[in-house]
Amino acid sequence: MKQTVQKLWLLLVALALVAAACGSDSSSDDTASDDTSTETASTDDSSSDDAAADDDAAEASAGLEGTLRVMIHQNPPMVEWVEKFNADFEAANPGVSIDLSVIDAADLPTSNQTRLSASDVDVTTVTVTGFANPVQPYMTNVEPPYWQQLIEAGLLMDLSGQPFVDNYDDAAIAEGGSFDGGVYSLNLGRVSYSGMFVNHDLLAEVGVEVPTTWDELVGACDAVKGAGYECMTAGGADGWPIFVGAYGLLGSLYPDQQGLVEGLWTGDLAWDDEQGQKLFERYQIYANEMLEDQAAGLGHDAAIERYKAGDVAFAPTGNWQAGVLEPAADSDLTPAEFEWSYIPFPGSDNPEDNQILFGKYDQGWAVAADTPVPDLAMAYLAAFSEAETYNDFANTVNFLPTQPTATLDNTLGRSVAPLLQEGAFTVGYEQWFIGPDGAGQWANGGQGAMWFYNGDFDDAAAAAAQAQADLEAGLSS
Amino acid sequence: MAQEHRNLFSGGRRRFTPWLLLAPGLGIYLLISVGPSLATAIYSFTDATGIRGLPISWVGLDNYDEFLLQGARSRDNIDALQRTLLFMAVVTVVQFGIGLVMALLVNQNLRGRMFFRTLFFVPVILGAVVQGLMWKLFLRPGGGPMDTLIGWFGLESQFLTGPSAFYWVIVVQIWANAGFTMVIFLAGLQSIPSELNEAAAVDGASGWQLFRNVTWPQLTPAVNTNFLLNIIGSLQAWILFLVLVGYRNGTQVLGYVVFAEGFGQTGNNTFRQGFAAAASIVLFLLVLVLGMTANFVVARRERKYLG
Repeated sequence: MKQTVQKLWLLLVALALVAAACGSDSSSDDTASDDTSTETASTDDSSSDDAAADDDAAEASAGLEGTLRVMIHQNPPMVEWVEKFNADFEAANPGVSIDLSVIDAADLPTSNQTRLSASDVDVTTVTVTGFANPVQPYMTNVEPPYWQQLIEAGLLMDLSGQPFVDNYDDAAIAEGGSFDGGVYSLNLGRVSYSGMFVNHDLLAEVGVEVPTTWDELVGACDAVKGAGYECMTAGGADGWPIFVGAYGLLGSLYPDQQGLVEGLWTGDLAWDDEQGQKLFERYQIYANEMLEDQAAGLGHDAAIERYKAGDVAFAPTGNWQAGVLEPAADSDLTPAEFEWSYIPFPGSDNPEDNQILFGKYDQGWAVAADTPVPDLAMAYLAAFSEAETYNDFANTVNFLPTQPTATLDNTLGRSVAPLLQEGAFTVGYEQWFIGPDGAGQWANGGQGAMWFYNGDFDDAAAAAAQAQADLEAGLSS
Repeated sequence: MAQEHRNLFSGGRRRFTPWLLLAPGLGIYLLISVGPSLATAIYSFTDATGIRGLPISWVGLDNYDEFLLQGARSRDNIDALQRTLLFMAVVTVVQFGIGLVMALLVNQNLRGRMFFRTLFFVPVILGAVVQGLMWKLFLRPGGGPMDTLIGWFGLESQFLTGPSAFYWVIVVQIWANAGFTMVIFLAGLQSIPSELNEAAAVDGASGWQLFRNVTWPQLTPAVNTNFLLNIIGSLQAWILFLVLVGYRNGTQVLGYVVFAEGFGQTGNNTFRQGFAAAASIVLFLLVLVLGMTANFVVARRERKYLG
């Protein structure tokens, strides 16, 4: 028994040593963190260099070594492209290895919060919505978006002054990645979520024109379904593609999307006023009549594959899915075997209101403020930002470019170019709406289409009234 | 050996040795269970975000006020609370019943009973995410097995998109955990002395009388254990909701609200871990009250049957 007690003491001593070892690690981390701060500062100092971006990229790459932890979200064409880019970057910098993590887009907030807090990532996709949902002057009793929380916590590096930032257009930097005078995210592209893919061959077979108004769209769907095809599909299994597919409908009825949000907050507009009622009635038709039943079993990625099969007329979704219909030249994917284009969702009775593409700033690179390899992170972003490289990226993932020298040289680009040349791209409702604390779960009427799809409501007026009541509950609390 | 025993537990050592032996386990328990629980209680009075570097401010009862009393939001939370109670009630009762029936079946001296014991228990070892994904694929509209099956009768599988989604999560929860209930009942059944049943049979007791007057009272410890575990487990369940339904209006239970608020899964993707902590304390109090009530009931029942 005496031996047993001695063993017990030995065990306790061992546990104490383990605890002490853990303490040492913490100290080491602190030291590393301090070193990082120094390195970060030196990087910022170097940012005053005004040399051309490409030269800077080459200089920054010289003699680099270490491991760069990069996090991106799941987007098949983009993942494929980034993997190739990383391989090229590693080949050009023999001392460098890149540890790439690919996560679901829905997990980005959590993964960024945990990994940035734990100093476990160097370059990350901080959002896929730009710096969306900023708190506006007319908003009270709201929570700041998580990207703002990350910046205010000091977890993101200010990229101001980095030469490669100048490669991007001013609007993208200002609207897609700036806050409080600093640049914290390098926005890589705009996307439209208010349009829909149109199968021209199928419409021709059925004998209808591409719809330009709501009534024409209703008529086209009737004709398509009458001929034994399906009108629309979307990724119902993921939920959000249903209401995102209706953002074009929302946008065509409220072309001033920021004004809509302000009107809802100030009381000038209401979900259950005349225009709001019309919106909800059309939501119901879209969700319950236009979308095929099979959509409920399709995820976002599966839905566009389903559309690619050719027996659905329209796919209301983001333009980022064009890469599935027209893959990059070196991709293993096969293109759609029908003529298609991407047009604004014709949700209004007025054709002119159906000529605007609403969307968002998409993926933004950010750098951890305490990265131990700031020079490597800057070199990585500089290499990515080189005009030729970025142009290839934008064409692969079908982002509407945020570098002025880049152009989309594909079917999507040709579809949207006339609209973009007229300046018909604007940040959409989803990027402006914030519900006040105390608002109910139905306050975000922009998601109303999904309520009908899920069977939560079967009466448009009731749904509109519920949305307004839930919003007002927050505004008045 | 007897001498050593006396030395170890005699005098001053006698008082300290049990504590010494308890210390490692107690330390680990305090560190990984009590500590975080106390921290959660404290966090519930703050605006903590969980993001390193952001200041944490004391907000008093504001989180509780917002959760329980403020605007339409409190209505939604109360709805989630009621839904949690409904979930608990249905799961507890049905899972208890199915687990008991399965245990009685596989306790018979039947051919292949080991196979069925394994078969019934297999879902338990899969884990909630795998369980959820399996059922999501099974119920998938547009060609899933269930869709194909009911398609023969002209129906379509819209189970996880329509209002019935909540009830399908109940089905999956029961399917996933009934095997565990069965195993506890099976252990209880096998601990009943066979002489009791044999004596009752000799006295002419019917099968129902045997069950009611011999088996059921003797199963009391297993019944009580299952009762408590089912209540607590179902109150804390939320991962199946995440996998099968997602954060959808009208389907959330309290555990999912806690996760969604704490980890940026709602509205503005804002991290509100102080608010989530308040929600989790509400859930904890619910579990505590119901658990203690259930414990009181089963303890009284145990005294009645087993003395």
